[in-house]
Amino acid sequence: MTAVLIVALVTGAILFGIGVYGALSQTNLVMIMMGVELVLAGALVNLVAFWRFLHPESYSGQMFVLVVMTVMAVEMAVGFGVAIARFRARGSVEMEEAEDLKG
Amino acid sequence: MGAQAFFLAVFGLAAIGFGVAVFRTSSMVRSALALLFSQTAVGCMFLVMQTEFLGVLQIMMMATEMSIMAIFMVMFMMDPGGLGGMDMTHQKRFSIGAGVVAAGAAIAVALLADWGAVTAQAPDAAMQTRELGHELLGRSMLIFETAGVTILTAMIAATAVAIPVQNLASKDDKEVSQ
Amino acid sequence: MTVAIVLLTLFGSAWLLAVIEGWTVTGRLRPAAPLISGLAHLGRESIVPRSPDRVFFEAAPVLLLVVAVLGAAVLPLAPDLVIADLGTGALFINAALAYVLVALIMAGWGPNGAYAMIGGWRFLGQLIAYSMLIVMPITAVAMRAESLVNTAIVGSQAALWNIVYQPLGFVLFYIAAMALAFRSPFDLPTAEGELAGGVDAEYTGVRLAVLRLARLTLVVTLASATTVFYLGGWHGPLLPPWAWSLIKTLAVAVSMLLAGGYLPRIREADLMRWCWTLGIPLALLNIVIVGLLILVVP
Repeated sequence: MTAVLIVALVTGAILFGIGVYGALSQTNLVMIMMGVELVLAGALVNLVAFWRFLHPESYSGQMFVLVVMTVMAVEMAVGFGVAIARFRARGSVEMEEAEDLKG
Repeated sequence: MGAQAFFLAVFGLAAIGFGVAVFRTSSMVRSALALLFSQTAVGCMFLVMQTEFLGVLQIMMMATEMSIMAIFMVMFMMDPGGLGGMDMTHQKRFSIGAGVVAAGAAIAVALLADWGAVTAQAPDAAMQTRELGHELLGRSMLIFETAGVTILTAMIAATAVAIPVQNLASKDDKEVSQ
Repeated sequence: MTVAIVLLTLFGSAWLLAVIEGWTVTGRLRPAAPLISGLAHLGRESIVPRSPDRVFFEAAPVLLLVVAVLGAAVLPLAPDLVIADLGTGALFINAALAYVLVALIMAGWGPNGAYAMIGGWRFLGQLIAYSMLIVMPITAVAMRAESLVNTAIVGSQAALWNIVYQPLGFVLFYIAAMALAFRSPFDLPTAEGELAGGVDAEYTGVRLAVLRLARLTLVVTLASATTVFYLGGWHGPLLPPWAWSLIKTLAVAVSMLLAGGYLPRIREADLMRWCWTLGIPLALLNIVIVGLLILVVP
């Protein structure tokens, strides 16, 4: 009976893992943001699964999903803003070249 | 329940497959669109889980978001077409390890935890939309408003960071020259 | 059965549109011309450009067609003549039509040609201009119907059509729909004069035939959406419901086709400026007006 919940949770976990790999391994700022998006997608799957299979009577679960979607949009907007500023200043958004950010 | 689990698994595999493709292709537009289809598959998973409003919303939002991602990839990458076969990764082993540990831990929790009884029946779609609206403008109104203000702040911050500082610089130059 | 009827209506209307378009261009009414040119496309060589992104190149025309059909699937022709009467139909059509952008970016990037690529990315800018003007008027429509179900939206217009109740929303939606269907004056991605066909440029043979069919189907879908949201859908005297839907849809589609023919192509920057400085405030005003009307008028 809980198999369907497990399927959703395992999918979310694997998406999370792929996202973590991407965010850590990529050298380009935009690719790192893609990794973060995948992490958040994994979180979304879990949230919806929890709402649907454990607490369908409480709509705070769906509310939470909307907040995470907001976070995704905000992350994109601010990330691209930073990317444009960085590209203007240094001509690249490669993180290998951002050694100066290490204190 | 069986059919639901099956379709959930199918769309889950699609989401994972496209998610892997994001980091395996060296063409940047392919990478961004693979992420788009991964997110769309996640949206389809929501639909399978009878969460219609959120599923449709996810599918709609991601189309635009990831297309914008694609154009930024083309703008900011040295080799957007991926024909040069550049290696765009670093600290590979550590990343793979971290990814596997993160996924493994989450899977272990998913398998080991006692989730209790699963609800078989979901509220129907129109009812859900209605209840979500009441939740948004009722008990969770403050959170919803905060989300809205956060987006506004992010828009202003992103624009402020992104606009060129030429005018300021030229003014400084003038002051220096004077 | 419903699926077959809706598909037949959709493609039949697309064919009729093609005939009328040919009529306005050449001055001759030839009902068989679209079919003949379609068959001729099948017979022609389908050229693949040098080093294309093959997946995108092949998938783009099909995706555009699928998206247009999916959008039409939630729009009712008659009270029971709808493929899927979703609980979130008015939102679903936005979701489906957002993928027009994806299809055009794929069609632009796939063939490895400069004109096509510029056309594809141009549409991204166009989307940023028009998308709010699609969503916000639909919000006002859903407010009046107190539902996102498309049949309920048509039902709410039984006494008074939305074109009278919220004319501002209709004008904005109509213009935005034309921009979404990239008909001229908004045909920036396929601009013939400056981009030599843009996203169409590298397509030949079967793929071009599918692309043309998809574009016409998209116009019909958007005209059908305008009918459902603003022109009272199947409501009308004497004739059966499906006939009214069909007549209104065709009228809107033809008006879109003809209105565009007499206007010069708008510049990308101008489109963006007008949409954001004028269109979005008007759309917000429309929402406020409709909200007041709902609260004040019983």
